[in-house]
Amino acid sequence: MKLKRLWGTSPFKSSYDAVMIGGGIHGLATAYFLAREHGMRDVAVIERRYVGFGGSGRNTAIVRANQRSQGNVRFYDEGLQLWAELIRDLDFNMMFYNCGNLNIFHSEAARGAARLAVSTAQMSGVKSLLLDRKQCKELIPVLNIEDNITYPVFGGMYHPPGGIVRHDAVAWGLAKGAARYGAHIHQNTEVTGIDTQNGKVTGVQTSRGRIASPRVLICAGGYGALLAQMAGIRLPLHPLTIQAMVTQPLKPVLHHVVSSGAYHVYANQTLKGEIATGAHMDPWPNYTTNTTPHYFKHQAEALVEILPFLQGVKFMRHWAGIADMTPDMAPILHGNDPIEGLYLDVGWGYFGFKSGPVTGKYMARYMAEARRPEILKPFSLRRYEQLRPTGETAGAFSYGPWN
Amino acid sequence: MSFTITCPICGKRDLYEFRFGNEERGPAPDQEGLTPRAYSEAVQMHTAVGGPQQEWWYHRDGCGVWFTTWRDTLTGRETDEKGNIS
Repeated sequence: MKLKRLWGTSPFKSSYDAVMIGGGIHGLATAYFLAREHGMRDVAVIERRYVGFGGSGRNTAIVRANQRSQGNVRFYDEGLQLWAELIRDLDFNMMFYNCGNLNIFHSEAARGAARLAVSTAQMSGVKSLLLDRKQCKELIPVLNIEDNITYPVFGGMYHPPGGIVRHDAVAWGLAKGAARYGAHIHQNTEVTGIDTQNGKVTGVQTSRGRIASPRVLICAGGYGALLAQMAGIRLPLHPLTIQAMVTQPLKPVLHHVVSSGAYHVYANQTLKGEIATGAHMDPWPNYTTNTTPHYFKHQAEALVEILPFLQGVKFMRHWAGIADMTPDMAPILHGNDPIEGLYLDVGWGYFGFKSGPVTGKYMARYMAEARRPEILKPFSLRRYEQLRPTGETAGAFSYGPWN
Repeated sequence: MSFTITCPICGKRDLYEFRFGNEERGPAPDQEGLTPRAYSEAVQMHTAVGGPQQEWWYHRDGCGVWFTTWRDTLTGRETDEKGNIS
């Protein structure tokens, strides 16, 4: 059988109409939408390692639109609806499985926060509802709702349209789509500098030579702050290492994404049967991808309490990635300020996967029209100095039995 | 391997005993003529260095002292001011 490459190698040109720094789903989606929606086909995606090396291939593939603030929900909801369209348009199966998310809470305070999030969703036309503990058990029979655990379950926030998407397929599908429209994907190419002149971006320096470009997008996931430094921009970001792991494969048993803010754990069963689980972040900045025994222990203890059938099941693989956290847990989507032509798509923290394609769609519009699309208004970098954070930190995950 | 940092009172201890208190920012900005942007730059923005940086730590599960030390964010290891592992 003759195998056909999804995307090939391209000549390394000395100038492009736009350069995306970071060959993950954000950069690839932006290149794809620049070509598809705006006719800008002379673009390059620069990737230090290989497509999907970073956060795009390290996340736990969960998608949802049940955030706390309305600006966020509107954006993520459009992202959720984009998967089906992308799968059709790219002719690539991303294995979107909209199994629904159940976010369990363990206190009155967290229930109050969940109620506000459910109201936000319902006001925005997104399906999300509040369940009591018995309804949680009816939905997920393997869930432990007894009082014999550290944080007994009070109830849950059920979000049926959410689910999981195969993350590698998203990266590969978007790379295929972008390359089909003529985008050049340069892997193993490191950006070492961002050139500016008279307040305008003029190009980037790379390990393979200089590229001139009037538009540069920083979309390098957890490494965004390092790239912004090259242009002299400081950001309110902490790059934190986030860990995840999978168990050995099991027969189908867990048919929803389950998460708990108090236990600091989420779990879902992949289509291969493994229970993918994670959530821990060491709260100090690191550009490393170390995993820690401290966390394996925490994860095993938490999982066995809320999903007791996992007792004795073995972890098979573990890994980590970098999440660039902003103080208000919402991204920074910003451009032409303070440097004309330089665009920022940073600060996604652990929300970068679910938002990838929709961010690409709107960052492409931002770059093509040099004007901020209405839907990106809440995500300006200037909201910090205006003391207008998004309010996302008031989500149910911030409240536990200790509140 | 577990990571450690050195408390000036208790000596080398497990990193999980400590609370991170942000990167060292230097003195607070002058109040005279301070704009919202300059204030935000001083208190909200981080340099987020990739490499050795001076940072604040609090020995939460120990003696309770606040102190600064150097740590390399590319390796997670405590270093001296020049970035050498001590």
